Amino acid sequence: MTRVTTTWATQETTSAALGALAAEGATGALSGERGIVYLSAGRVVHAESAFTPDLGALLTRSGAVPSDGWWDAVDRGGAQHRVGHRLVDSGRLAAGALEVCHLGALFDAAYFVLAHDTRAHRFRPGAVHWLGAVRSVPVDAVVRESDRRRALLDRIHPDPAIDTVPLTRVPGAGRPGLPARRGRTLTQVDGVRTAAQIASSLACRTYHILVDLRRLAADGLVAAAPPTAPQTAPVPAPGPDPAGTGWDDPDTALLRRLRDALEAL
Amino acid sequence: MPGIDESLLEAMRLPGARGASLVDWISGLALGAVGEAPGGDWEATAAETAELARHVAESGSLAAGATAGAAAEAGKEPPVEDLIATTADAYHLLRFVSTPFDSTVFLHLWLGRDDGNLALARIRLAEMADRLVLG
Repeated sequence: MTRVTTTWATQETTSAALGALAAEGATGALSGERGIVYLSAGRVVHAESAFTPDLGALLTRSGAVPSDGWWDAVDRGGAQHRVGHRLVDSGRLAAGALEVCHLGALFDAAYFVLAHDTRAHRFRPGAVHWLGAVRSVPVDAVVRESDRRRALLDRIHPDPAIDTVPLTRVPGAGRPGLPARRGRTLTQVDGVRTAAQIASSLACRTYHILVDLRRLAADGLVAAAPPTAPQTAPVPAPGPDPAGTGWDDPDTALLRRLRDALEAL
Repeated sequence: MPGIDESLLEAMRLPGARGASLVDWISGLALGAVGEAPGGDWEATAAETAELARHVAESGSLAAGATAGAAAEAGKEPPVEDLIATTADAYHLLRFVSTPFDSTVFLHLWLGRDDGNLALARIRLAEMADRLVLG
């Protein structure tokens, strides 16, 4: 059993805390401002954020795995932390597909956890995610990738507000022949929703939607929505609400509750 | 059923294979890599080839004939299947992987020209891309 010291708590940033935990070969869950990173023997095995769709949302809302098949895997594999293996063993998902989707969700959530690299909130030693082991990634690779992703967005269009505020289409702006993905993202821009909400409704990784939105903003097709008039309904929150359920469909909300219950075991 | 590493190791068994990787063409992330990296650094190679692949994937001209809408309905996105670059001593073969969920990845195979068989590699890489996702 690895002894975990409290060195992580003295670090000023979540990424530095992750580095300290990696050096100790720690296992557990580190909570930051915008999500949780799970470590096993000092490597990142999973990450989740209220700003990004989790593996279940990516798989079921895209139709890759039927909703009841996903739930069956959660029911049978959740308590043993083997939901991922269960999906593959039951023939619902190819091993490679699970790895690709899992890494996609992991780096997506880690980007948001590390994008606001404030002091980590807490570390739960020994905490294991119910999904179970799929692939692990070194902490420094995750930190480097998140830095690179931030730099890529700034190269496209240096306006970080696009990532978090409600967005609107620019009136009168023409719609040139957009690539299919970006055109689909543009159809979801409605003056109310944020990037995270658009990603959720399209079952896409949020960072990839950010790339589309920054390109659309650079082309003058999308801009931050003007604030709602004060006498109307309350201004929509810039991101998901703190509970992370305000914009979820009932399935995901239920899944989150189930996850919390499993983690409490 | 092969995972990412097994698929890349299978690609490395092709004659002339020097290196193979699986890369996200929007973020530029290498999800996995085996063998030698062209240029010596997989992360740099992935970021660079991703930019190239993105331009091809998003090209309206290359997709002409199979409209983006029709390709999307057929579940084939992007409409381009693969791209090939040749140098004096090597082939680079990039194969887009079609997945039923949001992924945007391609397989990159680096082949030496002396031993490599481009036609064979192209067929095999397409099969590997399917098996990676479909089992």
